[in-house]
Amino acid sequence: MNPKNKGDLLQGTLDMLVLKALELEPMHGWGITERIEQWSEKVLQVNQGSLYPALYRLQRQGWINSSWKTTENNRRARYYALTAAGRRQLAAERESWERLSAAVNLVMGMSTA
Amino acid sequence: MGILRDEARKLSGTLRQRTAEPELDEEIQFHLDMQTAKNVRLGMSEEEARRAALVSFGGLDRFKEEARDEYRSRPLEDLVQDLRYGVRSALGAPLFTLLAVLTLALGIGANAAVFGVVKSVLLDALPYARADRLVRISMGTQDGTMQRSGVSAGAFVDIAERQRSFTRVTPFFNGVDNLVYSGEGGPQVLTFTQVGPGFFQTLGVKAPLGRTLTDADAGAEDLVVLLSHGAWQRLFAGDPRALGRTLRLNGRPRKLVGVLPRGFVGPMGDADVWLPLDLRPTLSDPVHARRRHWLGLVGRLAPGATLERARRELDVIAADLAREHPDADAGHVFTPEPLRDSMVGETRTPLLLLLASAGLVLLITCANLAAALLSRTLSRRQEFAVRVALGAGRGRLVRQLLTESCLLAAAGGAAGLLLAELGLATVRGFALPLPAYASLSLDPVAVAVMSLIAVVTGLAFGLVPALAAGRANPQGALREGTRGASESRRTRRLRGVLVAAQIALCVSLLAGAGLLARSLWAMSTAPLGFNPDGVLAVTLQFPSHEYDKKAVLLRFYERFTERLRALPGVTGVAGVSELPSPVMNRNGLAIQGVTWPEKDSPPFITYVSVSDDYFRAMGIPLLQGRTFGPADRPDTTTAIVVSQSMAKRYWPDGGAIGARIRMGPDVDAPWFEVVGIVGDVRNDPARPEPEPEAYGSSRQDIWMGTFLIRTQGDPRSLLRSVRRELAAIDPEMAMSRSMPLRDYVAEKLAGRRLPVLLMTGFGALALLLASVGVYAMFASMVAAREREFGLRVVLGSTRQAIAALVLWAGAAWMAAGLAGGAIGIVVVTRLLRNLLFGVPPFDPVALGVSVAALLACATVALLVPLRRATRIDPINVIRV
Repeated sequence: MNPKNKGDLLQGTLDMLVLKALELEPMHGWGITERIEQWSEKVLQVNQGSLYPALYRLQRQGWINSSWKTTENNRRARYYALTAAGRRQLAAERESWERLSAAVNLVMGMSTA
Repeated sequence: MGILRDEARKLSGTLRQRTAEPELDEEIQFHLDMQTAKNVRLGMSEEEARRAALVSFGGLDRFKEEARDEYRSRPLEDLVQDLRYGVRSALGAPLFTLLAVLTLALGIGANAAVFGVVKSVLLDALPYARADRLVRISMGTQDGTMQRSGVSAGAFVDIAERQRSFTRVTPFFNGVDNLVYSGEGGPQVLTFTQVGPGFFQTLGVKAPLGRTLTDADAGAEDLVVLLSHGAWQRLFAGDPRALGRTLRLNGRPRKLVGVLPRGFVGPMGDADVWLPLDLRPTLSDPVHARRRHWLGLVGRLAPGATLERARRELDVIAADLAREHPDADAGHVFTPEPLRDSMVGETRTPLLLLLASAGLVLLITCANLAAALLSRTLSRRQEFAVRVALGAGRGRLVRQLLTESCLLAAAGGAAGLLLAELGLATVRGFALPLPAYASLSLDPVAVAVMSLIAVVTGLAFGLVPALAAGRANPQGALREGTRGASESRRTRRLRGVLVAAQIALCVSLLAGAGLLARSLWAMSTAPLGFNPDGVLAVTLQFPSHEYDKKAVLLRFYERFTERLRALPGVTGVAGVSELPSPVMNRNGLAIQGVTWPEKDSPPFITYVSVSDDYFRAMGIPLLQGRTFGPADRPDTTTAIVVSQSMAKRYWPDGGAIGARIRMGPDVDAPWFEVVGIVGDVRNDPARPEPEPEAYGSSRQDIWMGTFLIRTQGDPRSLLRSVRRELAAIDPEMAMSRSMPLRDYVAEKLAGRRLPVLLMTGFGALALLLASVGVYAMFASMVAAREREFGLRVVLGSTRQAIAALVLWAGAAWMAAGLAGGAIGIVVVTRLLRNLLFGVPPFDPVALGVSVAALLACATVALLVPLRRATRIDPINVIRV
């Protein structure tokens, strides 16, 4: 799909990244893509086509909620905020991610000489 | 192409829903603006920046569709989508759809029509207030020779005074008669009846115009009359100023005091004219007071009273009366019965029969559609598998199948409603012996029940294939490829059961229809005991009190008979008090030297008064003794002619001729003498056994209303000259009825004809449906096993062997169906037993013909698929 050698998001990680992006403060959708891009040092580029479905999905699961607010540039935008359930979910996903990545690192670090 | 269409659909969907989701649009707009701004900051031109932002978003519409998918759970949209798919898939299989809708329409239409009739007769409210508390009281004899007879005036007074179960018991003339209305346009025959004090109050009926009758009207100086709504419309064009006018009825002026509500009918039937009934003259006549049983009684149960309590009370009163008036009331019972039951009467059985038949047809319809949907689901297994593989939930799939079924049911139901209207219109065309209050219409409740049937049907026959689809294993289905997917054992068995059930139901229905048709045939061809062909029957309405005098009547009879005899082509003229009919006048019988058992009442025997030529004109043979002649005069011994069966019953050892008997209410009359025995007559053409009957001479018992004119030509052509002769004697005289005797007899059978016609129709319908079912079973069996058959041919199997294989698989189910049908036939014949005439319940002809018809149709139905099975080209089938 993406010809550039950017990091394709591992399936299921987008939700975790969105939750993480919202951990500090409520943000609108565009802000989330910017933040993820910035934090990943432009390796991860969130496809907007996947972002919004993900946002609605998370909202339906009760992990985030949304409200319309005015931005600093005086425009209306929908802001998403983490709920308490979302915080617990983020913690759970972080833990399983760490276990998974540690395991992957172990495997990849094995010397096969 | 598919993608393009998909995109177009999504885009149009987006457009349609735009207003519903301004927020989504706004959010995307915001995102695009932010991205554009960033792109500009990174050095792009405004235009370039916007395009890049759009590109990064991917297909805008696709995105929205996906977002929406995640966003809501959408019952309404899902439904719309299901319906859209449903319509599309229905149009994709036009033959299947047409068949399904037609089948449903027939099944539902038949049910709606029959239900409309049944509901209006058995369920609709009677035109009275709180009709469930109204009770009809009739008299019978303990030995059962008389049932549902009228009550004598004396017994009525006693019952009314002694009972405590009813707020009031009120009498009425238990029938409808004719009278002559001398209006501006010449004499007209109207129907009338008479009702006692408190009749309308007991029924809870008020007059919308004027008043009903009061207790003071009976026997009052000023004669009053009520008109039915219909008569008021007919005679006065619904003019309210008619109230207070004076009508000349049978030569007497009566003041119109009220008009009854539209749709009102009495327990005795519908009548144009309602007169007050004064019992005082009858009560003062010692013979008639207790011995003429002619009153109908209706009572309203008192608060807290029950039918059971009323029954016990009436038993006590009957016992008391038997003690007090042993000569008049011994052996009598008074029976209360809900008014509706008495008004529904004998129509109940045929109606329930029809309802059952229609229900069977609906069952067959359902089985048929279940089978059809089942095979359609099988042929769509691939489609379902793809959809499951693409992520459709199974629940969703089942829901969609159910939606499709309901769609079919709705279409079938709508078409069925149309058919039902047509059906009812046809039924209305028959002179039906339904209770007078029944209006044959598809009323809202009937339609609602119908729609419910349609939906339940849809769910019922949608469920089986839907459950099967829910279990579908997508991988298996996909791997099996486009062909060769044989039916599973389970679905094959299910279909077999469905077809067997259809055959069983169909055979039962056909057998019932066959039995009824044979009965009707037997009824209309069995000898009546008289010859109704070539006879014109004319019933006269005597206009005024002039004719109350016997001498005047006799003179009229003679003159009229003389003039009729002189008409060209006339070979015989006779008079009779009453034409043969199911309900005739009956008189109590006494035989000299015979005492009936203590507690029994005398037997009641059909009795008519006839002129000398009656037996000859009717073609009733004289078996022994003589008929009447000029020697029978009012001052000689009363002569009686009895029928063969009466002679056999009361004089089993012979000796009827010369026997001394007495008939009628007057116990002190001199003895009559039996002078002759004639052949039996079946007064009710729908009953196989003739009743005992006695004849008196019109020379001695002056009582004639109907003239029979036998002619060599068409009886109808006589009518004009008969009318002319009548007017020549008395222009005031009116004919209340004139028709060929053959037509009159046929009319008595009309009520029997409808159930036969309908049940035969249902049988034909069932046959058609079952044939379609058999065809579908074989066709899909062959289709499913095409590859197997192809292999067999390749491996050297002959076409005969394959045909045998197919036949064997199907024939087993057909045999099972016939076996089930045998049980159905037993049930049907039990239900029909009381309606059969001259046919044994297990009539080999009726049963044989119905089974043969079914087998013939089934054979035709299986020939086509069988042919296809034997023509399978192995090359086409084997190549994958």
